[in-house]
Amino acid sequence: MKVEEKLSLLNYKTDPEYAHITIKPPICAVCPDHFCTFACPAKCYTLLNGKLNFKYEDCVECGTCFVACAHGSVTWTNPKGAHGVKYKFG
Amino acid sequence: MSEFDVIVVGAGPAGSSAAIKLASEKMNVLLVDRADPPGSKNISGGVLWGNDLEKIVPNWNKMAPVERYITSKGVGFLTKDSSIDVNIKSRKFLQGVTGYSVLRVKFDQFLAKRAESAGAMLVSGVTVENLAFKDGKVIGVVQEGDTITADTVILAEGANPRVAIDSGARRPIADQDVAIGIKEVVKLPEATINERFGLTSKEGFAGEYALGFLEDGVEAGGFLYTNRESISLGVVINMGHLRADDKTYSFDIMDQFTDHPSIASLIENGKLSEYSAHLVVEGGYNSFPKQYGNGYMIVGDAAGLSFSNGLMIQGMNYAIASGILAAETAIEAKKSSDFSEKSLSRYKEKLMESFVAKDAYNFKGIEEVTWGKLAHKIMPSLMEDVLVNMFLTDGTPKKHLTELIRKAMKENNVKSSDLLMEGYKMIRRM
Repeated sequence: MKVEEKLSLLNYKTDPEYAHITIKPPICAVCPDHFCTFACPAKCYTLLNGKLNFKYEDCVECGTCFVACAHGSVTWTNPKGAHGVKYKFG
Repeated sequence: MSEFDVIVVGAGPAGSSAAIKLASEKMNVLLVDRADPPGSKNISGGVLWGNDLEKIVPNWNKMAPVERYITSKGVGFLTKDSSIDVNIKSRKFLQGVTGYSVLRVKFDQFLAKRAESAGAMLVSGVTVENLAFKDGKVIGVVQEGDTITADTVILAEGANPRVAIDSGARRPIADQDVAIGIKEVVKLPEATINERFGLTSKEGFAGEYALGFLEDGVEAGGFLYTNRESISLGVVINMGHLRADDKTYSFDIMDQFTDHPSIASLIENGKLSEYSAHLVVEGGYNSFPKQYGNGYMIVGDAAGLSFSNGLMIQGMNYAIASGILAAETAIEAKKSSDFSEKSLSRYKEKLMESFVAKDAYNFKGIEEVTWGKLAHKIMPSLMEDVLVNMFLTDGTPKKHLTELIRKAMKENNVKSSDLLMEGYKMIRRM
């Protein structure tokens, strides 16, 4: 099963007005490793034609990308109250 | 005059335990969690050992939503084709049994409600944005621009502690502090689980695995434990190794684990019910961050309090123990009306006297072994070659064991000196 299908099993309360993670595209444009694409377990970071594509909506809030990015591109804040991923089991 | 004696940020095992202890001693406590219901962002990767929980919630195991009590422990070395497992099932585990598998969404909600019924004010679905400071002392928390004041703030945010880091209360997380945890919950009928693991309905199995089949330099561990009607299993991936490798995807390692023949047979015909990820605190004694300051204390994962010696993972019980110790410190601080860094340094002293820091100290440097070549590569491939050759019946005469070992070492390019060196490290650290 693909990660995308696994993520579709999850409940999210997506906040359309607030992206809790933001990236700085000029930094990603010249990034030599794009380690975020390997590290993020939710595949929020992907390369499309060599350009980094990021979506916060699938984020499971683990915090991996903030540690993974060694170039200072990732700004990580908590989603606003009660938003984001909502697990059933944990 | 502060609005609260203590504000606890985060209602996981650490935060809720602190709040239970504080409220039961008549302290005025606010317990705030950004998830609604509290606990619905929390996941576990192991067994809850409940000795400390017993101190603040007597008979918790009779009341809490636990899954199974652990009667069977396993350690496995997985290679591409084989698995070499050691399973220990002992009646002795039943004497004073305290290890339970839990599903955290239900369990954490139970603990948060316990704090509430002990007298704490529980607010869920509210995100604390920052700490409030005055004259270099933490005087409360900031939420949507408003300051809520408290004499002491206990930060129990978990492995990704945004408030603690962004406010400068603790240093940021580095590669060596954490591993990437990925977990799946697979539904299976209770009877099927009992049959596959040789358990009765209330008994549970918990296993840890070295993933020796991974290619290149990436090292990862696996875990698997039984719930009543599901199996939780996942991988813990070394951040530094994954970075150095730069061609392996974290989520592919999860698939390789669940696809391994000896794991696949345990979850066969199960239905994937949840996929989740979480940073796993790995740091250990040598990299504890600062755990207290003027007006605040940090507990649980947020304070780097987690431990693995390769055979046992401990996190939730350290969270609970540290939460209780921080609560005791806050109570003493109130008695002396002194919430300074010096006063709250009692928390650090209590931690150092407790099994939490003692475990970490006794096993300091264990990461050298748990993330070492011996456990992940040499041992699995050597044991596979020796044991498979020992039991393989192919019509040729059986060889002597020492000959098999020598042959396996040669084929795996293992020098006796390496084996001695790595073996020495393992014994010394464990």
